[in-house]
Amino acid sequence: MSKTERTENCRRRIHFSPSWVSKRMAFLRVRLCTRHITTGLQACGYATLSKASRPQDKSSTGPVFQYVGQHKKPNYKVFVWGFSFTGALGIPSFVVPDSGRKKPRKYQLTPYRLETAEQISSAACGYGFTLIASPTKDVIKLWGMGLNKDSQLGFQRTQHSRHQSYDYVLEPSPVALPLVEPLQTKVVQVACGRAHSLILTDQEGVFSMGNNAYGQCGRRIVEDEVYSGSHIIHKMEGFSSRVTQVACGQDHSLFLTETGKVFACGWGADGQTGLGHHRVSSSPVEVGGDLAGVEVQQISTYGDCSLAVSTDGQLYGWGNSEYLQLASVTEATQINSPRHLPLKGCGKVVQAACGGTQVAILNEKGEVFVWGYGILGKGPKLSESSIPEVIPSTLFGRSEFNPSVAVTKIRSRRALRLGEECARLFGHREERRPVLPVEGDCAWSSGGRSVWRRPHGGAGEVPAVSFCVPAAVDERLDVLAEPPADPRAPREADWWLRWSLEASCSPQAASTLRPVVTSSQVHSGWFCRKRSLKQLTLPCMWVIWERHQRMDFVFLQLELKRSID
Amino acid sequence: MATPAIRMFRRLEGLFCVYKPSGVHWKLVRDSVETNLLKGLNATSSQPLPQEVRFLAHPVSETEAPKGLTLSASSVPVLSKHPLVTGPEFQHIRVGVGHRLDAFSSGVLVLAVGNGNKALNDLYRTRVTRDYTLEGEFGTATDDFSHTGRVVERSTYGHITQDKLDKVLAMLQGANQKALLMYSNVDMHSQEAYEMAVQGLLGPEGKSQPILTGLRCIRFQPPNFTLEVQCLNETQKYLCKVVHEIGLELRSTAACKGVRRTRDGPFTLQDALTHHHWTASDVIRAIRQYHSKRNAKYTHTQIKDTALQPPEESTT
Repeated sequence: MSKTERTENCRRRIHFSPSWVSKRMAFLRVRLCTRHITTGLQACGYATLSKASRPQDKSSTGPVFQYVGQHKKPNYKVFVWGFSFTGALGIPSFVVPDSGRKKPRKYQLTPYRLETAEQISSAACGYGFTLIASPTKDVIKLWGMGLNKDSQLGFQRTQHSRHQSYDYVLEPSPVALPLVEPLQTKVVQVACGRAHSLILTDQEGVFSMGNNAYGQCGRRIVEDEVYSGSHIIHKMEGFSSRVTQVACGQDHSLFLTETGKVFACGWGADGQTGLGHHRVSSSPVEVGGDLAGVEVQQISTYGDCSLAVSTDGQLYGWGNSEYLQLASVTEATQINSPRHLPLKGCGKVVQAACGGTQVAILNEKGEVFVWGYGILGKGPKLSESSIPEVIPSTLFGRSEFNPSVAVTKIRSRRALRLGEECARLFGHREERRPVLPVEGDCAWSSGGRSVWRRPHGGAGEVPAVSFCVPAAVDERLDVLAEPPADPRAPREADWWLRWSLEASCSPQAASTLRPVVTSSQVHSGWFCRKRSLKQLTLPCMWVIWERHQRMDFVFLQLELKRSID
Repeated sequence: MATPAIRMFRRLEGLFCVYKPSGVHWKLVRDSVETNLLKGLNATSSQPLPQEVRFLAHPVSETEAPKGLTLSASSVPVLSKHPLVTGPEFQHIRVGVGHRLDAFSSGVLVLAVGNGNKALNDLYRTRVTRDYTLEGEFGTATDDFSHTGRVVERSTYGHITQDKLDKVLAMLQGANQKALLMYSNVDMHSQEAYEMAVQGLLGPEGKSQPILTGLRCIRFQPPNFTLEVQCLNETQKYLCKVVHEIGLELRSTAACKGVRRTRDGPFTLQDALTHHHWTASDVIRAIRQYHSKRNAKYTHTQIKDTALQPPEESTT
């Protein structure tokens, strides 16, 4: 019942309910009389305080209503919002509408309540999927929803056949963990990357599931492994002590043990594993560099940049620095070994959070510093900074009325910032540029990045396809091209993806155009991925244009061939 | 020629604040302050009556019976200038009221004298917030949301704890913050909006619905609780309604026991004159204090502007 309805109902109940209207009316009559007398007395007074006409209350006869039960439990709420085509929000009617007229809901822009069976203490979002965990000791303590093509949500048995697993899970469905003592262990934290997920329990260590093409799940990389419909949930080994925190990057994983050591495994082409090389690592290895001998209290990673905060308030970073995240120590675009980041004027760092292209830290005074590229939170004009910039605390609610407001936690992934006093949520939503797909491609965005996927049709070569993208200055293009599933094709084949970029812009600006492609400083090339029939990914290909140029379109030509001619 | 009274009259120009007790209409307060000021002004005009020379006829006694008129000069006071004839010198003085307080509430009431009424207009055209202290009591709901109204419903309040109250207050603050952003006439995606937000200048210009810019609970002893509120464009009835709605949100009922304004713009409780000090001399002192504070702030901001060159954030 809404507030106004209840007030109206209160009044109406007095007048119209038959059961005790007689009692009430008599009472009212008596009270009205007394009121008249007192107002008469007051008419001549100047400053008589009107406490005399204070009504009865304590000794009155009348029902006392009780709206809250004796054993009311506090209700914990989970809210979801974002991109919902993959079912990652856990509400089936967004993807498969109840009535035939409605279309599937693409974005849920405002928080929407998700009903959960238990109180949820930990949640994590990956690329098109979500995991939520509860601190209960029941058998079912972990639920997953969204994309499950790499079994990142475990094996979700279909209704019709117990050998098949759902590719898209539209509702929070329990994930079965192979625990030795399922009724004693609690799930402490969950973390999700692009296509893999990590679950941290209090007694039984870390479990990983999902894609292991780069060793991000911490087990041996198997050639041509089929991840869809896989039952494998791997219990990770190789840690020197108990793991207290896990963090997932896009294709790598970081672990923090209780002695303050950091372990890493997975894709390392940008040095994000921090192991000193750019190869993949298929089992967790301790990270050295400047972190040797340092006790770390928090780790954070999102895309390809990783950060660690030590107990004495120092910040260490490694990985991708293309967006100037680590520009305080290096001009190179990648660091493969942790380096201490000397930050001037930031004080003692308490927490760090990585976005895709930005970094934010929280110091012990409750101030938030941001730097990097993209939407930084300091107005529309500031979109790039290589030195830490403080966000004014008036934006978090500090004012003359509330001079002691301070931020207590920052988190990345969906970039929530929790302020202490007012509990307001800021959502970082990068503006989604409209994508113009060609030839019926299925396009979806997750994590602020757009992924184009060319569906496989027919056998043989895939003809060249050209994507025409409105010039998105801060978009990172991850191109996933699936070779056609041709039964006659040999199992091992070299697939070559040829890509080239062209920009179309106004003639005046053409002369000063300076496109930058980072992974190789050329505008076109061949990229080869052997033996992986599932996906052909073009990593780290993105375009930064001069910000002040007005671009019309970027043409990205893709051609997929079995061999170079 | 300026008599001390006229000089005092001319000095009576400016703003000051009084403490309005509850149970009194604001107009009575204004009238009594005006009366006291006039009394004070009229009391100081103790000019001696001017004398004039008049030729008065002597009274004729019976012994001497000359038929001639004998006049003698004597200096007599000019009766036409006697205060009992002319009436008091000052009969009207303009006293204006700032933001009004209804009879149930108490607290700071800003008044302006003479030419200060123009300052009153200017002061309230700029965005000025007011601080209130609201006393509430759980357990009853009344028809006019205050404890003097007719009881409509009584309910239990034993389940209410401090953190539940804080949750409801946070929810109210969020709704008010959203209203603040909605009523500020700026495009939220622009740099201008960011700069205004950093300085805390976002908000409605002129009339809008009541907005609470700050809300917190300073005392909680069930069934009584005290809230401190900072608001814009409000009425005291609205604040009583806020207390009532807090009760409803907590699945109980609440009524407001007292509304007390503790600050109105730059005027605080410390500067407010109580009932015994509504005399002309105290008012003059209060006005002088207001002028000196305003001048000090003006010179302070001038110094700040010239000395400070805030560095812009670097964009590489």
